[in-house]
Amino acid sequence: MSETVVSLKDVWKIFGARADEAMQAVKNEGIGKPEVLERFQCVVGVQGATFDVPRGEIFCIMGLSGSGKSTLVRHINRLIEPTAGTIEILGRDVSSMSASELRRVRAQQIGMVFQHMALMPHRSVRDNVAYPLEIRKVSKSKRWAVSDHALGLVDLTGYEDRLPKELSGGMQQRVGIARALASDPEILLMDEPFSALDPLIRLQLQDQFKALVAQLKKTTLFITHDLDEAIRIGHRIAIMKDGVIVQIGTPEDIVMNPADDYVREFVQGISKLKLVKAHSIMQPLGSYKGSLEGAPRADEGADLDQLIDLAVGSEQPVVITENGNDVGIVTKPRLLRGIQGGKDE
Amino acid sequence: MSDPTSEMKVTAASDIEVDRDALDASIKNFAGDSGGYYAGVFHKIHDATGLLPTTFNLWAALLGPLWSASRAVWGMFWTFLILEVIAWVQIGRGWWGNPGSDMADRAQRQLDRAQEFLDKAAAATASGEDPERFNKLAENITKAANDSLAKADAAQSQAFGIMLTGLALLVFFKLIQGFYANTAYEKQYSRWRIDPDSTESGRSMRNIALGAILVAAIAPLIVFRFTISSSIPMLDTFPEDQASALFLGNGSANLFTSVANWLNAVIDSAVTAWSDVTRGIIVFVKTVLDGLQLALSGSPWPVVMLVICVTAWRAAGPRVAIFTAASLAYIALFGYWELAMETVALVGAAVLISVAIGIPLGIWFGKSKRAYKIAEPVLDLMQTLPAFVYLIPIIAFFGTGNPPGILATIIFGMPPVIRLTALGMRGVPESIKEAAVAFGASRFQLLKDVEVPLALPSIMAGVNQTILMCLSMVVIISLIGGGGLGKVILEALQYAAKGEGLLGGFAILFCAMVIDRIVQGAFRRKDQTD
Repeated sequence: MSETVVSLKDVWKIFGARADEAMQAVKNEGIGKPEVLERFQCVVGVQGATFDVPRGEIFCIMGLSGSGKSTLVRHINRLIEPTAGTIEILGRDVSSMSASELRRVRAQQIGMVFQHMALMPHRSVRDNVAYPLEIRKVSKSKRWAVSDHALGLVDLTGYEDRLPKELSGGMQQRVGIARALASDPEILLMDEPFSALDPLIRLQLQDQFKALVAQLKKTTLFITHDLDEAIRIGHRIAIMKDGVIVQIGTPEDIVMNPADDYVREFVQGISKLKLVKAHSIMQPLGSYKGSLEGAPRADEGADLDQLIDLAVGSEQPVVITENGNDVGIVTKPRLLRGIQGGKDE
Repeated sequence: MSDPTSEMKVTAASDIEVDRDALDASIKNFAGDSGGYYAGVFHKIHDATGLLPTTFNLWAALLGPLWSASRAVWGMFWTFLILEVIAWVQIGRGWWGNPGSDMADRAQRQLDRAQEFLDKAAAATASGEDPERFNKLAENITKAANDSLAKADAAQSQAFGIMLTGLALLVFFKLIQGFYANTAYEKQYSRWRIDPDSTESGRSMRNIALGAILVAAIAPLIVFRFTISSSIPMLDTFPEDQASALFLGNGSANLFTSVANWLNAVIDSAVTAWSDVTRGIIVFVKTVLDGLQLALSGSPWPVVMLVICVTAWRAAGPRVAIFTAASLAYIALFGYWELAMETVALVGAAVLISVAIGIPLGIWFGKSKRAYKIAEPVLDLMQTLPAFVYLIPIIAFFGTGNPPGILATIIFGMPPVIRLTALGMRGVPESIKEAAVAFGASRFQLLKDVEVPLALPSIMAGVNQTILMCLSMVVIISLIGGGGLGKVILEALQYAAKGEGLLGGFAILFCAMVIDRIVQGAFRRKDQTD
């Protein structure tokens, strides 16, 4: 297990003048969101969020608008103060940092990308990207070098001296990503970075982003309201509803074993072909009575798409192997059910 | 997602039945007494497709404003109270009034004088003189008196017509109220549905009483005042002396003089108490002014002219530069150069101080809602108070001359830059501020790198407004001893010197236009590069 970079323990956020009272009532009496609103006129933003993100992981937080995902992620760089709970970055408690320490952590260790780009309209692309370094009082020559390098990472070389408004939406968001990368931070916070872009550009940027993060090994918290995007990008996904994290798991986990009806409704429309691996739908070797002589073989990590290719060319079930040993089989009915999403036979 | 059992059936609009029960209950809840009647008429109004409603509220027609008061339709109450009073005044004039009384009085006086002359004629005949002159006069006056009498009769005969007009008006207004009442009340009902807490509903004794009191207090007094020509003096002018006596007791001065005396004493003592502060302010303003004046009047005139023309060219282009050169030539040729430079120094000092104080204040008000709430009435006051009003305390505290003039100019000129700076600060997008904070910006860095640059166009507009406001004070401050071109105008005004006044006026106009063109040109260029 690699080192934990971001760690949240039972983080609560209640908005309103009487948040502390409401928090007490929640802890002692276990009242819910509607009662808190009724009794204290306070809105519960996040309820008891707990998760760890190891180094290099892309951790997606998925939820519809108003589910508290943006609120949650703003706790990590303390743009929002938690009502209760602890948040640690590289083992250091964020809440106990002094103002100057917090500013240093924000400038050096956390890069953030926003849904609406939030670029400064009066500064050139280069100066926008260099702004985190400017805050840290890095010299201009160094700043410009770093910012040109960061712009190179997102394929924007040649646009350094333009103003943001001269660039298209997708390019502006790449400037935003370059700005987040400029100070070479440990952690990237992505607040719905691609939501405002059109679908084609979005796909392109998702792939580009995934490759970039893999190459730079950044620990990333990625907010999205689009499950497809979460599945495409995330190593793990947390699904939020009304401030509660309903389920945390790998994309395959979430799709194959949804924790409740809410998640199930979400994953219904997701294509399983590339997502579901052989090991999660295979049956024991003994369950097939016929001969497995000459049957097609696939590794347990093969996805449904590959299994279909194999199954089409043979009457027999596909034998699944692990390190060269046969461990299970996938029959055609099983495969078809797997495509449907693991419905019971 | 869509559950078949809860799916809505799509129906054509024509097939949908209006659900009366819920609406009826709501209307009855709103109307209180006689809710059934209003439910009925509101339905009629809701069903109507034409422009004019067809309901008639008999009680509204009969009771008039009393009805609208009882139903708290206050707009209708005031409108028709005034209209009905007008109608009643006409009726009163026709019934009790004496429209021809003026003329009849005059006729009586003329007859008396005619009699006088006849008496004199009789006396003249008695003493053996010629009575012809007196007879002639008496005859003429009698003729005039007969004319007057005829006019009085005509006016008298018009009285009936006036009364009829009044009656017709009254009936007309009543009818309008009858027809309009339910429509107005339905509008009130719609408002009540949106905002039931602050819209009055039902019929309350309090409103009936209030309406009755208002009607009783207003209608008879007005009718009386316009009907009876000889009225009570109490009602014509406010009895201020009696009221003063009520407060202060008989014999002493009236309220106005005693409060004015008290204020004089307060200001006098404040002037002595604050003399150090006021002197400090004067010294500061004078330093700024002297610096500017030294630069403008001290430097040789060709240098200043050249600098101004080049500035105009760089900032606003060649056309403005030519206009500037022509204006400067006018000013110099008519001998206004020194005065114009003094005016520019005065305005410049006022603008510099306004901007130096106004922008930080604006930034503060833009960030703190509470501070802005407190400051806003003060800013309103600074802009709406006529300059002549605060010239007096300024003289009391700061004396006369150029520095107090600059202070008066600042009072009038500073609000725009404060307001527009605050506006610009509040217009900076929250998301960009958040991004800067997320990258570790401190409060000062946020202000310097994000808020002020993004608010800059608005701040510049404020500075421009402030410059124009300050220019408009040039003549007024000459009243308290301010120099420059304003003094020329003031002197011309005192001696009604038309030619001098016009020439000086044009000099001020050219100064203002040159400054305005240069500043606007500079800002426009800045906008384009942004």
